[in-house]
Amino acid sequence: MNAFELALPDTLAGAVSLLDPEDPTIRVMSGGTALMLMMKTDVFHPTQLISLRRIEPGYSQMGLLPDGSFRIGAMSTLSDMEHDDALAGFAPVIRQTMKLLSNVRVRNVATVGGALAHGDPHMDLPPVLVALDAQVVTISPEGERTIPVAELHAGYYETILSGNELIKEVIIPPQHARRASYLKCTTRAVKDWPALGVALTTDLDGDTARDTRLVIGAVGEKPIRVAEAEAVIDGQILSDKTIAEAADAAAESVETIEDELGSAAYKTQLVRVYVKRALQQVANQNA
Amino acid sequence: MKDVMTQTIDFTLNGKAVSAEIQGHWTLVDLLQQGFDLYGARQSCGQGLCGCCTVVLNGKPVSGCLFLAALADGATIETIENNEETLDPVQEAFIEAGAFQCGFCTPGFVLMTRQLIAEIPEPSEEEIRLYLTGNLCRCGTYPQIIEAVQKAAARMRAA
Amino acid sequence: MNDQITQIRAVGQSHPRREAREKVTGRIEYIHNLRLPNMLYGKIFRSTVAHARIVSIDTSEAAACPGVDMVLTGEDIRKIMPDPHFGVMFHDQPVLALDKVRYVGEPVAIVLASDPNVAAEAVALIDVDYDELEPVFDEMEALSAETFVHDELKPGIPEIQFLKGVRDTNVGFPYQLRHGGDVDKAFEEADRVFEHTFRTHPSAHVPLEPPVTVAEPTGAGLTLHTANQSPSFVRYEISRLLGWPQHKIRVRVPYLGGGFGAKLWIRLEALVAAAALLAKRPVKVSLSMEEQFYTITKHGATLKIKSGLDKDGRITARKCEVFWNGGAYADIGPAVAFHAGMTAAGPYDIENVAIDSFSMYTNRPVAGAMRGFGHPQLIWAYENHTDMMAHELGIDPLEFRRRNILREGKEHATGTALNTSSVEKVLDRVAERLQWGKPFERGEGTVKRGRGFAIGIKASIAPSTSEAIVRLGADGSATLMCSSVDMGQGSDTAHAQIVAEVLNMPVEMVHVVHPDTDVTPYDTGTLGSRSLYHMGHAARLAAEDAKAKLEELAAEVGAQPGSNVPIWELFARKNGMPVGHVVGTASFIPDGHIPPDPMTGQSPHITPYWMLGATGAEVEIDTETGRVTVLRMINVADTGTQINPKIVDHQISGASIMQLGQTMQEKVHFDFGQVTNASFADYKIPSMLDIPQIETSVLDGAEADGPFGAKGVGETGSFCVSSAIANAVFDAVGVRVSEMPITGETVYRAMRAAAGEPLEEE
Repeated sequence: MNAFELALPDTLAGAVSLLDPEDPTIRVMSGGTALMLMMKTDVFHPTQLISLRRIEPGYSQMGLLPDGSFRIGAMSTLSDMEHDDALAGFAPVIRQTMKLLSNVRVRNVATVGGALAHGDPHMDLPPVLVALDAQVVTISPEGERTIPVAELHAGYYETILSGNELIKEVIIPPQHARRASYLKCTTRAVKDWPALGVALTTDLDGDTARDTRLVIGAVGEKPIRVAEAEAVIDGQILSDKTIAEAADAAAESVETIEDELGSAAYKTQLVRVYVKRALQQVANQNA
Repeated sequence: MKDVMTQTIDFTLNGKAVSAEIQGHWTLVDLLQQGFDLYGARQSCGQGLCGCCTVVLNGKPVSGCLFLAALADGATIETIENNEETLDPVQEAFIEAGAFQCGFCTPGFVLMTRQLIAEIPEPSEEEIRLYLTGNLCRCGTYPQIIEAVQKAAARMRAA
Repeated sequence: MNDQITQIRAVGQSHPRREAREKVTGRIEYIHNLRLPNMLYGKIFRSTVAHARIVSIDTSEAAACPGVDMVLTGEDIRKIMPDPHFGVMFHDQPVLALDKVRYVGEPVAIVLASDPNVAAEAVALIDVDYDELEPVFDEMEALSAETFVHDELKPGIPEIQFLKGVRDTNVGFPYQLRHGGDVDKAFEEADRVFEHTFRTHPSAHVPLEPPVTVAEPTGAGLTLHTANQSPSFVRYEISRLLGWPQHKIRVRVPYLGGGFGAKLWIRLEALVAAAALLAKRPVKVSLSMEEQFYTITKHGATLKIKSGLDKDGRITARKCEVFWNGGAYADIGPAVAFHAGMTAAGPYDIENVAIDSFSMYTNRPVAGAMRGFGHPQLIWAYENHTDMMAHELGIDPLEFRRRNILREGKEHATGTALNTSSVEKVLDRVAERLQWGKPFERGEGTVKRGRGFAIGIKASIAPSTSEAIVRLGADGSATLMCSSVDMGQGSDTAHAQIVAEVLNMPVEMVHVVHPDTDVTPYDTGTLGSRSLYHMGHAARLAAEDAKAKLEELAAEVGAQPGSNVPIWELFARKNGMPVGHVVGTASFIPDGHIPPDPMTGQSPHITPYWMLGATGAEVEIDTETGRVTVLRMINVADTGTQINPKIVDHQISGASIMQLGQTMQEKVHFDFGQVTNASFADYKIPSMLDIPQIETSVLDGAEADGPFGAKGVGETGSFCVSSAIANAVFDAVGVRVSEMPITGETVYRAMRAAAGEPLEEE
C-alpha cells in the first residue's frame, strides 16, 4: 500500500466538504473492507481517505418512521441490520439474507451505505433492497436527494452518485403484507460469491399476485429487474403453470455472462430454476 | 513514493492502556506484530476470508488484515493472547476434541467460538457451521471443531 | 531405570498433541513470526509471460527507490552460486530466471528493503523486456509440440544420469512397468476390452501459512530458518549450490502452518540464502497467498486406461498411460510419475500389465507432490474405470471387485507381494459400512440420491533413511533429536510416545527437539506418510540404545541388575552430582529393498509396506441444476497399530476433506499460462458448510515390520474420495464425469447430453 492521509471528520457534512469530485484518489472509507482489498491488491492508490467512523451516531441507527417506512442510517453495519429485531419484523428477508452474506467479521465492519456505494455487482444485499423498493437519501454540497436503489447502480462498480455525494440513509417503504424471498445460488463452495441471487417481493391479494418486484443479482453488471417475468406473474394466481412461465420468461430475458462460476447457458438454467423456487417459496409462505 | 507517515494511537490492548507509533498503511495485524510482538493474529489469505487474522475490536470480531490500525485509536482490542495464565473452556475443549492440526487457524477459531457462544449459548450444528463458515482450516479439522464448540458451549452453560 | 514397577503404556493412547497449549494460545513458533535484528524483507518480481527469452532487465528505478537496499537478478546470484540451478531430481530450476522465463509467475528479480511495504512498492518499478517464445501448456500437446521448455535435460541424481544431454523433448522422465506376459496378445485373447480416458486438473496445496524463509549470515556460515518439510535436504542442496561444506549450513525448522507437500525440497531457501549472503544481512521472504499459486501446484494429468477381460469378468490385461503436467521445472514430478506409475493398475490381480508414466514439462507453474503423491489422480482413473466396466458387464461393482482384487500373498504388478495389508478386508469393510446390497433411499422429485465406493493402494517411498538420537538425562527425562517436521500431522507426539514406551516413562518426560541440522541428524524428509514407520523405528532403536547404555552405566556404578536405584543416583555415583546423560543413536533404512528393474519395473521387494484405503460416499443431486451434495463419507484405512488413535482418525478425516475440496470445488484456472483465480475469493477450499458427515473406520492389524506394528496414515484418507463420489453420482443419475471437479454444471451438462438435449457450448 502507498502512503496516504487519513481524515476523521465528525460530521457527514464535514466529510462531504473534504471530497473533490475531480480527484478520484480522495475517497470515503466507511467499513473499509472493500476499499482495503483494492488498496492491498494495488487496484486503488489513495492520496486521502476520509473515514466515517467518527460521524454523528444518528447515521448508524435504524428504526421505524412515523409514516410506516423503515430508516437505516448508512453507517449501520450489516451485522447491526442482521440483529435488529424491529428490522427483522419489518422485512424478515434481510436477516435471512445476512446469514450467507460474506462472514461474521465482514458483516461486523461493512456498512450498508458502503455496500451500496461500492457498486460491486456480486453482492447479495443490493438486489434485496431493490426488491423491497428501497431508496437512498444522499448528501452533497448541492443538498440532499432521494434515489431509488433500483436506479443507483450504473454499471460494473459504477453508481450514479457524484464524486462528492454520500449516502446518508436507506429508506424502505412500508411492506404491509408483502411477501419476500431471497435465494442465493453458489456453484463452487456453499459459501461463495453468488453465481446469481434472486430477490422477490410481491403482494398476494387472496392468491393473486400484484406489484411483483423480481430482481436478479450477480449475473450482470448490476441488479436486474425482470419486468418480463413480473408481467407474467402480476394479476395471476401463483399456480405451477404461472410460476413455470415466469421462470421461462426470466431465463429468456436475462442476459448471462460466462465466468469461472459457470457458462452463460448454465447460468440461464440457474435463473430459470431459482426464479421458480423463489416464486414457490413466496407462494407457500404463510400470509 | 511519499515519505512514510507515522502517527501515535492510544487504545486498550487485552485490558491494558497502550499507545503505539504506527505507519499509515498498517493494518491491525501489522500493529500487533510489529508494535507488540503478538503473532496470534496472522495474515493468511489477506482478504478477510480465512479468519486467521481475527481480532476482537470493541467487542466484535473483525478481520485484522483488512482494518487500518489508525482507525483503532481509542478502541478496545482483544487478541488470542488475552488469557495466557489459564485456558478458558473454549481452549480446553479445542484441546480435548483435537480440534486443530497445524494450529495456524486456531486462534481465529477460538476467538470466533467465544463470540458465537456469547451470542448463541446453545448453538445447533447448523448454527455453528453458519457462524464459523468464514474461518478456514486447510488441515480439515472441521468435524473436531464442531465437537469442540458443542463441548465448550455445554460446559459454559453448566458453569 | 527400574524405579517404576508397572509398565507405562504410551503407545496406543490418544495423548493430546504436546504443543496443544501453545497452539490454542497463539504462542506457537512459526517462521511466519520470526523477526531478526537488522533484517531485510525481500519481495519477488515475477514473470508476466509464459515462455520467453529475457532481453533486458531494468532495475534502476527500483534500486533508486528510497528505502531499497538492493535489487538482485539471476546474474547477481551467479556471484555466489556458480551454477544457480536447484532441484531434488533435476538441476533445472534457476534461483532467479537467467536467460529464459518458463512460466507466468517465475521469479526474475528480488527487491530487498528494511520495510516490506517499500520492497513491495519498488517491485512494481522493475521493467523487463522479453522476446516471447511459443509456449506449451497442455501435457498432451507437450508430447508432440515443436517448442521445448528446456533445451536439454539436466538430471541431478545418479539414478537418472542416463537422461543427461537428451534434447528436443518435453518428457522429463519416462517410467515403465511390464508385468506378466505379452499384454497385447492378452488383449487379443480377451472376451471384452474397455478403454477410457480421464483427466484431473491442477489444484493448489495452499497451507494457511504460505512458504516463508529467513536466511541469516553467521560468522563462518549461514543459518536458514525455514518452513520446510525436508531440512536435511535443504542443508545438502544449499551447500551444493554454494560449494560449501555441509556443516557451514544450519537449517532450523520449528512448527509449520501446514505443509501437504507444498514445503518440500527447495522453495525459497536458495533465493533467500543468496540474497542474505549478498546483502550480508538477514533476509526474510514471506509469500503471499497469491504467490503460493505460482510456486507449487498439484499435478493435473491425463490418464488412459485399458483393460481386457475374460468371459468370467476377470481382468486379464491392463495398459495404463499417464501423462503428468509437471510445469516448467521437474521438482519431485519425476518421482510422482515413477512412484504413482508403479500402482497405476490398482490393487488388482492382473496377469499382464503394461504401464507408461511420463512427467511432462510445460509452461505452467511447477507441480510437486501433494498429499497422496499422485495416487488420488490415478485412483480417480482406475476406480471410475472399474465401475464403468462393472456396469457394462452387468456385474455389481462389489462383486466385480471381489473377482479381481489382489488376495493375500499374491504378487502386485510390481512383482512385490502384499504383506500384512489385505485388500479384501478393506473392500469388505467399506461395503459393510455402506450396507451395500441393502435397500437405499433414492430420493424423490427433483432430488436423486446415490452411493458409491472405491479402493486404492500406495507403496511407501523407498529406499529412505531416518536417523535419531535419544538422550537420557539424570533427571529421568529423555530428549529425542530428529529431523522429522511436525506440520500438523502430530509426528512429535507419536515419536515421543514411541520413545516413552521403550523407556517406560510418562510421555510428558520426553522432550522433542525440532529439526536443527546442527543438532538433529539426517532424515530424507517428512513426506509420503513415511515418518511414523521410518523415524518411528529410528526413535525406537535410539531409545533402546539409550536404555542399554543406561544399563551399562548401572553396572559401572555397581547397581545390581533389576535393582531399584533411581536414575539420578546412578548419575550421581558417576558424576558426583545428579547430572549427565547417556546417548542412544540409530540409523534406520528398511531391510531388503531391491530397486526395480528399469525396463520392467519389477522387484521382489519394492516397498517396506503398503497403504490401502477405501472411501464410500452417499450423494444427493439436484437434478435441475446438477449440484452434487455429498451427504456422508466413510473412509476406511489400513493403518497398522495406531500409536495415537485420535490423531490417526483426524489425519484420515482431514485428508479426505482436503481431497473432497479438490473433487468438488478446487481448480486452478489458467488463461494463457496466467493463473486467473490465485486467491481464496476465487479458489474455494472447503469451509465448514461444505463437509458431509464423515466417518472413519480403521483396520488396525499390526504392520509386520512396523515400529510397534505402526505405519504411516497421513495420505490414506485422500486416495479414494474422488472416485467414490464419481461412482455415487453415476449411481444417482446415470452419468459419468471424467474430469474433476465435479461441479453442478459438469453433472447438469452430462445429464442433458444423456437425455439427448445437450446444453449449448460457449
